[in-house]
Amino acid sequence: MAIFEIDEVKKSFKTGDVTEQILKGVDLELKQGEITALVGPSGSGKSTMLTIAAGLQRASGGHVMFDGKDMTQMNQEQIRKIRSSEFGFVFQSAHLVPFLTVEDQLLLMLDVAETKMNKKQQKQEVAKVLDLVGMSHRKDAYPSSLSGGERQRVAIARAIIHQPKMLFADEPTASLDSKRSKEVMEIIRNLTKTLKITTLMVTHDEEMLPYADRIVTMKDGLLA
Amino acid sequence: MQMAWKEVKKSKMKFLILGSIIFLVSFLTFIISGLANGLSEDNAALIKNLPNGQFYLNEDADQTYNLSKIDEKQQEDLLKKYTDATAISIQMGFVNDADDKQFSVAFVTATDSKLFPNVKENEIVLDSSLKDDGIKVGDILKNNQFSGEFKVKGFTEKQTYSHAPVAFINMKNYQEIYRVMEMQTVFIPGSDAPDSIKGLESFSNKEFLNTIPSYGAEQMSLNMIIWFLVVISGMLFAIFFYMMNVQKIGLYGILKAIGVKTSKLFSMMWYQMLLITVISLLLSVGLSQVFSMVAPSGMPFSLTMQTTLTLSAVFLVIGFIGATISGFQIKKVEPLQAIQQGEM
Ligand SMILES: Nc1ncnc2c1ncn2[C@@H]1O[C@H](COP(=O)(O)OP(=O)(O)O)[C@@H](O)[C@H]1O
Ligand SMILES: [Mg+2]
Repeated sequence: MAIFEIDEVKKSFKTGDVTEQILKGVDLELKQGEITALVGPSGSGKSTMLTIAAGLQRASGGHVMFDGKDMTQMNQEQIRKIRSSEFGFVFQSAHLVPFLTVEDQLLLMLDVAETKMNKKQQKQEVAKVLDLVGMSHRKDAYPSSLSGGERQRVAIARAIIHQPKMLFADEPTASLDSKRSKEVMEIIRNLTKTLKITTLMVTHDEEMLPYADRIVTMKDGLLA
Repeated sequence: MQMAWKEVKKSKMKFLILGSIIFLVSFLTFIISGLANGLSEDNAALIKNLPNGQFYLNEDADQTYNLSKIDEKQQEDLLKKYTDATAISIQMGFVNDADDKQFSVAFVTATDSKLFPNVKENEIVLDSSLKDDGIKVGDILKNNQFSGEFKVKGFTEKQTYSHAPVAFINMKNYQEIYRVMEMQTVFIPGSDAPDSIKGLESFSNKEFLNTIPSYGAEQMSLNMIIWFLVVISGMLFAIFFYMMNVQKIGLYGILKAIGVKTSKLFSMMWYQMLLITVISLLLSVGLSQVFSMVAPSGMPFSLTMQTTLTLSAVFLVIGFIGATISGFQIKKVEPLQAIQQGEM
């Protein structure tokens, strides 16, 4: 059974008097532990699709089923709870908290996700995950002193440290050069495979496609 | 609230600036409040030292005590009926010492009463501030309207009126200097003072203070400055946190996206506001108390701990309101906005 199911999802934006239909009834099923790459021309609605799935904005129609529950029927607080404990996010830029060290960023995420760990366990978990993304040596650094690739690795660590069921990534390598992009993709692939995290990833970089289990293409608000 | 503290630590300069502004504004407020209170004491300690009660002026006196004349028969009746009551007269005047040096004083005379020193004829009791001018017990003082001489009998503490030291004299001497037989006002202490007496207008202590011409105006302008400063500091809080929040909209968005509760973001802001305000207030309370101890004795300054604490509480409330109003932006932030903006 699919852990995540997008069913006839529509989205329209109203700008002034004009209503534009961006998503025209999208269907997509994600299987547990699989990486699904969402590709398509710029402006076709990929980010809109991903953020609706991730509970960051609401659909105008259709259903988003996560673990058998319909997220379109939930209130803000229910969705927030799911986002904090079941989802992880990686975006084009890392969006780290400027005044927290790398270690503190991850500790914060563990707090937000309300994981049942004491301080010592939390620190151990952070050390483990930083090791996985190869950032142990920078755990006391602030984001401003990290390179773009390093920041993105911290962002990935933050996205998976609370062992979410889902990972949503919107062009996670767009700000990185080819070499760094591949490193980051390796990390995402290894982590999601070992932790059995289901991943939906938007990308327009052909080089990233080999890392996906499945590729779907968005065109004019519909999946081809 | 570790996150809030960590931000303060990382952005020391920002919070230091806010802190010093709060410190300066609150310190200024305390000092002005000390001055207002000091001036008020200086202007009216004589009246402020009295217990609560009612003052009665002649109905025709236009609410001005030195135009008021109480009918002698009526005064006699009132003093008989209310045993604690006393009739009082006050006039500004001068005394001259042996070297013919002139001192401005407020001559006060009253019928027998526990509230004022009892002064015999040709005696005078002065406010202790005149000691600084070299006047001692036993000195002889004169007044050009007075045929006799005053012998300084003693001093009282903090008895001033209309910014002048009070000089208590006997009623007979007073009547000679000012050529009036009637007293200006009758004061009945306690709560059993009647609201109205035929032919007289009644004033509470506070209302009576405001009949002193300079008193109301002086206090009003100082109090206005104080409240102005309090309001300004509230606005400073609002503006400062507003600017800080605007800078952090992206951050708030991403924190919301990963599931941080809005209430947690608010408590973060409140914690920072409290931290900064409490530290700044502690400093300015301390410094203003020091100032109050070292203020030159001639300076009318009186700042009680009670006043500083009350004002501090007002500052805290105002800061809280200011920060909270600016915090409504936090509530409005959509996680998506932040992600699409793209930063750090
Ligand atoms: N909040 C919004 N309001 C109005 N139009 C939007 C909004 N978000 C996205 N759009 C429009 O929807 C279309 C698809 O955007 P997006 O999902 O970001 O495309 P992609 O990620 O595939 O490049 C674009 O034309 C964009 O202008
Ligand atoms: Mg996009």
